[in-house]
Amino acid sequence: MSYEVREEAGKDGRKILRIPKENLLELMKDLKGQGYDHLALITAVDYRDRIELVYHLERSSTNFEILTVKTDVNDSTVDSVTSLWESANWDEREQYDMMGLVFRGHPDLKRILLPEGWVGYPLRKDYDLSKTQYVNMDDEGNDRVSFDPGDGW
Amino acid sequence: MKTGDTGFVTTTLETALEWGRSNSIWPFTFGLACCAIEMMATQASRLDISRFGSEVFRNSPRQSDLMIVSGTVTKKMAPRLKRLYDEMPYPKYVIAMGVCVIQGGPYNQGYSVVMGVDRVVPVDVYVPGCPPTPEALTHGIMLLQEKIRNREEK
Repeated sequence: MSYEVREEAGKDGRKILRIPKENLLELMKDLKGQGYDHLALITAVDYRDRIELVYHLERSSTNFEILTVKTDVNDSTVDSVTSLWESANWDEREQYDMMGLVFRGHPDLKRILLPEGWVGYPLRKDYDLSKTQYVNMDDEGNDRVSFDPGDGW
Repeated sequence: MKTGDTGFVTTTLETALEWGRSNSIWPFTFGLACCAIEMMATQASRLDISRFGSEVFRNSPRQSDLMIVSGTVTKKMAPRLKRLYDEMPYPKYVIAMGVCVIQGGPYNQGYSVVMGVDRVVPVDVYVPGCPPTPEALTHGIMLLQEKIRNREEK
């Protein structure tokens, strides 16, 4: 192995792997080779100085045992794992929508829940809740976002 | 309305129309969140709103009279909700089911939630609860029927 993995035990005894984000894709490839055939979820935690990305992998051959992979992101960009698990597509779009993480190599990186044109990433600690945004729709069905309360809801 | 032993019923055309209208309200399925489960229970066999003439849930706005907005209205959904309401033929009515629809509920002041569907469409009956019981929704529909029948008194 050409990368360094730190192994920790979670509160309930589950295995947690910590990996620098440069080697994330490499580790994930190896884990898929070890039989982790299901990516259960991708989530993220904002610690202000960094965003921690969390992946839960499952292995169907060992009764869906769960393995957690964590990586720290400082500059909002990280490699996409869509080439390994198809389900990563929408999970990564969600993290892009809510946390503003940019996944390199993602085939269709756009917002999944909020309308396109929304300003800011709501699950980040520095998201400005005092500025309300309003959404409206044009005749073609495209969303329009503005800060004007008279334009939309 | 006057009845006698003669076998006659005399009434005004408007009263007869409103009586018929109030007893054949076809709701539009507008389940947006968990309140929709209670709306389905209201419609199903145990509580059965077909007793009040509302048996047919329509999936098209063109064929429905009543929009039961059940579930949190998000900002992205609000323009769609408005468009579907506009596509319903007159006379049309709206029931706001649950606190999310009334004023945002637990999501009040949330970044993505509309603070009450009455900012988008006019509401006739508010049914509070989180979620309201099927009995409460049935009561709301009966209140709406009363409202339709007594239109002139208001």
